[in-house]
Amino acid sequence: MAYVAARGGEAAIAASEKLHRLFYAPLSPDLVKTIEASMPYLLDRVMGEGSLYAPDLAALALAQTGGDLYEAILLLRAYRSTQPRLAYALPIEQEALLSIRRISAAFKDIPGGQILGPTLDYSHRVLTMAGLESPQAAENLDAAPKASPKNQPPLTSWQRSNGLLADLVSQENPEDLADLPDLTREPMLFPAPRAHRLQALSRADTGGVLTLGYSDMRGYGSNHPTVNEVRLAYADVKLSHPLTGKPFSAGRIRVSQAEVVSSFGGSSEKPQLDIGFSATLGWNEVKTIAASMLDMAMDKPDPFPALSEEFVLYHIEPVESSGFCIHYKLPHYVTFQSSLEAMRSVGKNQFNKPINEEEEVMG
Amino acid sequence: MPLKSLSHPYQGYSYAFLDEAAKRELRRTILKSIAIPGYQVPYASREVPFARGWGTGGLQATLAIIGPKDSLKVIDQGDDDSVNAANLRRFITSMTGVSTTTDTQKASLIQSRHRIPEEILDTYQTLVLQVPMPEPLRSVEKSRAVAQQMHADADYGLMWLKLYEQMVRYSQITLGTGYPSLVHGRYVMDPSPIPRWDVPKLHQARHLTILSAGREKRLYAVPPFTEVRPLEFDDIPYRVEDQKDWHCGKTGLKSKFMNELPKDDGSSSYEISDSGYVEKYLRQKEGESIRFAKPYYDDDGKFYRDDVFRELKDD
Repeated sequence: MAYVAARGGEAAIAASEKLHRLFYAPLSPDLVKTIEASMPYLLDRVMGEGSLYAPDLAALALAQTGGDLYEAILLLRAYRSTQPRLAYALPIEQEALLSIRRISAAFKDIPGGQILGPTLDYSHRVLTMAGLESPQAAENLDAAPKASPKNQPPLTSWQRSNGLLADLVSQENPEDLADLPDLTREPMLFPAPRAHRLQALSRADTGGVLTLGYSDMRGYGSNHPTVNEVRLAYADVKLSHPLTGKPFSAGRIRVSQAEVVSSFGGSSEKPQLDIGFSATLGWNEVKTIAASMLDMAMDKPDPFPALSEEFVLYHIEPVESSGFCIHYKLPHYVTFQSSLEAMRSVGKNQFNKPINEEEEVMG
Repeated sequence: MPLKSLSHPYQGYSYAFLDEAAKRELRRTILKSIAIPGYQVPYASREVPFARGWGTGGLQATLAIIGPKDSLKVIDQGDDDSVNAANLRRFITSMTGVSTTTDTQKASLIQSRHRIPEEILDTYQTLVLQVPMPEPLRSVEKSRAVAQQMHADADYGLMWLKLYEQMVRYSQITLGTGYPSLVHGRYVMDPSPIPRWDVPKLHQARHLTILSAGREKRLYAVPPFTEVRPLEFDDIPYRVEDQKDWHCGKTGLKSKFMNELPKDDGSSSYEISDSGYVEKYLRQKEGESIRFAKPYYDDDGKFYRDDVFRELKDD
């Protein structure tokens, strides 16, 4: 099949797309709405990696691609890049988050409390076969007699006040928020500014971050991390009003954050906790936990892949890695021809006309 | 006679969830691990209805040996009430119907994550410890194949070097939990992430300890009355966590392993990590007659055996 050489490639493309779409339901507003309502965690993953918070567009991207995650993410990214930056949101402090789930593995209880929140962590992973036969009624959930506090202080405040964590180095926040490094508008150079690193982790491929993070957790690294905090939360995105300058909420988004600590950072005279942090759009605990471990690991001198900032940040990019991977399907017959020739000629020289013998005869 | 009357009524799952072939493999693995103390025996490690890394190894060992007459205690961080412990207990009881207890004394089978209870365990008891990283040499040798050869050669030089480097850097050994320990004078094992406070409890213990790692698919054991020695230099004695000035806010007791609880005002309070022990103590205080086994550490922090901790004498 000469899939490119043939003239009429355009017709072939159109037909192959049609064929692709035959394998899943045609696009419709109902389909998009169903995906949006029934698959929030899938949307969160797509929005996080697409780095665009738009549940309806994420659902549309999934419906349009038959659920091919990398294609859906690329759709969102390609749309996002066409959107102008109209304003810069104010920083969101941890304490201002409306956390629906907040777990610390470091202590049994912490200021502000442990909030189990929504999770399948403790579910028994047994298929609900009845769901194949008949609709399952939604279960009633009684409100807790006493609501959790609306906001929780960061655990790091307690750790800092007890000398366990180094004081925050006051980062020079630019006066104009537009001066913050922005990975979506400029290239990543190494060593990367912290903003770039956190942005790269935030929009990273969940699977890629997990793979590298897991290699660090399993021992190809020197960390002994403890989860300081994991939060699933709602955050108000606040902007300064262009006329009055007063902050106002432009909308509420789902975010997740993870923070890990490891003992024996700092100096050998005064060891302190090392800390790693990650946050992303949507609720994605696996990704933020793995990413926060990478954030901590990337500062270490060991020779493992997960401990090299450059290695990690280059390879966790979902659009770049998936795109490059599938590019190998493109025709490569010119390059292949050239290397074939090189390989064949080595064979000829070696076995048919040994260079040395020929020289001897000539000599 | 209808054929139906000869068979059991239909059940979705076997007793204790695992099928009999899986149980048999695990039991053989356990027997082998008892025969070679501290040696990591590989096993298939089936998928169970929990996420990997959440105690699936300990769970499989428990399910393989639990019988209908067992009395089960499940703890996480010493606590019977932690959600993870409660969840595993809920699953095991729903698959076996065994009775459960929070009283260490009354438990014949204890599955635990990160702790050994404070009361001395006895010959009628089995402790199953959940293990995240079974390979004690992982920190000095990443390859399992090479580490296996090092175990075979009893080549633990790199481990000693690691401890020595910590001495050079910090003037003390800085390992927290999971302190590498020599079992029966032969294999170095990772005792699972129990605090250093708990490691001596394994030495010449009257009970059987099974350590099982589901994700890494390996299981090892400390049989009763077996030597377990944390690696220590002649002139640097092994030390447990120093919590001697900490008092439990619930009981007023000290000399038991404590949780530190950060408070809103920046300070900390403390409570005994072994929740079953606290529960018994408080009930006894209210006049109930409670049976305690002797604790491993008495109220002054003195360990029940005198062949474990060494005092350095000045020359």
